[in-house]
Amino acid sequence: MSVSEILATYGDLYVQALLTTWRMTLISFVLAMLIAVVVTVMRVSPIRPLRMLGDFYVQVFRNIAGIALLIIIVYALPYLGVTLPYDICVIATTVLLGSAFGSEHFMSGINTIGVGQIEAARSIGLTFTQMLRLIVIPQALRSAVLPMTNLFIAIMLTTAIGSQVPLSPMELTGLVSYINTRSVGGIATFFISALGYVGTALVVGLVGNRIDKKARILR
Amino acid sequence: MAEDHSRKSPEGPAPIIELRQVNKYFGKLHVLNNINLKVAKGEVLVVIGPSGSGKSTMCRAINRLETIDSGEILIEGKLLPQEGKQLAQVRAELGMVFQSFNLFAHKTILDNVTMGPIEVLGMSRGDAEKRAMALLERVGVAEQASKVPAQLSGGQQQRVAIARSLAMNPKAMLFDEPTSALDPEMINEVLAVMVELAQGGMTMVVVTHEMSFARRVADRVVFMADGEILEKGSPEEFFDHPQTARAKTFLESIQGH
Amino acid sequence: MNTSGTTSMRDALYEAPGPKMRRKIRIWTIISAVAVAWLVYMIVNVFYVHGQLAPRYWSFFTRATTWRYLGQGFLGTVKVSLTAGAISLVLGLVFMLLRISSIKVLSWLARIVIEFFRGVPSLLLIYFFFLVIPQYGIKMSSFWMITLPVALAASGVLAEVFRAGVNAVPKGQTEAALSLGMSPFKVTHKIVLPQAIRFVIPSLISQLVVVVKDTTVAYVVSYPDLLQNGRVLITNYDALVSTYFVIAVIYILVNYLLNKAAIAVSRRTGAKIIR
Repeated sequence: MSVSEILATYGDLYVQALLTTWRMTLISFVLAMLIAVVVTVMRVSPIRPLRMLGDFYVQVFRNIAGIALLIIIVYALPYLGVTLPYDICVIATTVLLGSAFGSEHFMSGINTIGVGQIEAARSIGLTFTQMLRLIVIPQALRSAVLPMTNLFIAIMLTTAIGSQVPLSPMELTGLVSYINTRSVGGIATFFISALGYVGTALVVGLVGNRIDKKARILR
Repeated sequence: MAEDHSRKSPEGPAPIIELRQVNKYFGKLHVLNNINLKVAKGEVLVVIGPSGSGKSTMCRAINRLETIDSGEILIEGKLLPQEGKQLAQVRAELGMVFQSFNLFAHKTILDNVTMGPIEVLGMSRGDAEKRAMALLERVGVAEQASKVPAQLSGGQQQRVAIARSLAMNPKAMLFDEPTSALDPEMINEVLAVMVELAQGGMTMVVVTHEMSFARRVADRVVFMADGEILEKGSPEEFFDHPQTARAKTFLESIQGH
Repeated sequence: MNTSGTTSMRDALYEAPGPKMRRKIRIWTIISAVAVAWLVYMIVNVFYVHGQLAPRYWSFFTRATTWRYLGQGFLGTVKVSLTAGAISLVLGLVFMLLRISSIKVLSWLARIVIEFFRGVPSLLLIYFFFLVIPQYGIKMSSFWMITLPVALAASGVLAEVFRAGVNAVPKGQTEAALSLGMSPFKVTHKIVLPQAIRFVIPSLISQLVVVVKDTTVAYVVSYPDLLQNGRVLITNYDALVSTYFVIAVIYILVNYLLNKAAIAVSRRTGAKIIR
């Protein structure tokens, strides 16, 4: 098929697919960040069981493959009495994975601050909450810009697992599979979807770099 | 152990800092061994000793950056609080200068100095900045006020750190090896600020390897080794007539440099 | 003695507790321990209530044949992972060398290729090899239909990892070698690359985790990897939950160990892990 043929036949589907990929990525990213914050708070807390639970969560979800997790959520959970809509399954997977990596980024952001600044904050009489608000959180956030940009892109790429379940509307990867199992779509069907991913990644990367340049802390 | 004969009148005002039979262990290592020490108002106390002698740990214990296992630490006659707002308040009254400066990396020099006064003392930003600029002027880095720490030399950063402590109007200042991380040519600019502080009547506890500084400004020198205070005395007494063999070997090794 | 250098930030954030804080921590430790135990109980209970703890779902894991079959699948995963890893290593190195070459056109082309493979999901590449390429009459075994796309996806990332490694080699060394009369080509191959590669070894190990994860879609092309063989087991024994559970644990353990290895090597050599 020529590009114009493809666009005439599947143009609308491509637009919908791009929007679906974007929507799932955005929702996943926001939820993943929220959970990452909670998990990170657990992991730095002085309460052992919470720490261990947080560490366990991160080790499980940073080491399991997206597909394996999605399959478990879609096919195994119903046997345990939990049946979720397909799009929720996909988002749950990306959120679980993304939050584990997000927490790792926050942890390394906190680590770069260094014990010295914490002691300095204490010795000028800042309370624990003041120290968090004025020293720890701002620095952890600012040094997390670039890793979080990469995480956003990684989450977008992970949403491609949506191609493994019937979604409506489909996302970019599922659409390529859909078109090519029904007709001989040719190389262009692949490149249009690829362009959607790469273009988004480039723009997000550019914005991330721009923000990072402003936010970066000289050390 | 040399006894502390100076300023022992029980009727006098409570010492600003007092350590009573302080002990601390790192595992099996006895890092602070029955430490007794008083620092009077306006006194400049210099703590010296080989590395691993516990001098830094003692200095850091005074504002509870290190906990102790037994004994008491008193600030102006009151027990050092162990946590919470009370501890923060006492810390606000004790300045602390670290070996590695520890300036807040994401804040400008000016904001580093105003943070304590604004957040802890509740000063208005305008007043805090006026005061900060005066202090930065005093330590000679006023023209760097809008830069961030990483843009300054080590010596400049350490002077900012001193200004940051001074901004809290502390009752005493603790210096934990303030020149040990500095290149030789920057040591003097920091020491000059400290000499000026000492001459201005600031109460100071200084852990240092700078013997010339100790000789020049110390009211009293404390020598520590293996977690114990082995000698206390005036700089002249200590440097010219050390009592213990440990102190003698230590001083000889220093002079070897 | 200064201990601050050795305490981790994680422990430094909360200072050594006083008596009140100690009590609070103790209380919350108990509460949260109970909560965690309850959570574990609830999860086990959900399995129990839905009959998933029944022996028939788990007993076949005591049979040697089950593990031999899973072992074969695991071998498939290892084969794909190592082959894809090796290919991506070579491609990544080539892409990086082109990327840093002084010939503008090559550098730009390499950049486009790198950004492309970094910005595209491996699944999309797999569908490309599985559905699109055969349309042009090219026949490929299922092994290559999974291995090649995984390798390509990894090569883009590896090119950037290698580039970071090259950048980490001090400029002075290049200058010193050039001043000794070595050709620029020789400098790159004899001085810069060996050091850069040593520097990125931990990162390469941790990238292997990504490769292993990417191979799990092998079932799309019906290649018998661990997950695919697991799916066969499921149809044989009608035991979906237990089988997926075991397979997930295997994947998690393998990747966990790979990550641990990367961290261990990085500690030993002092080289950072670049992602």
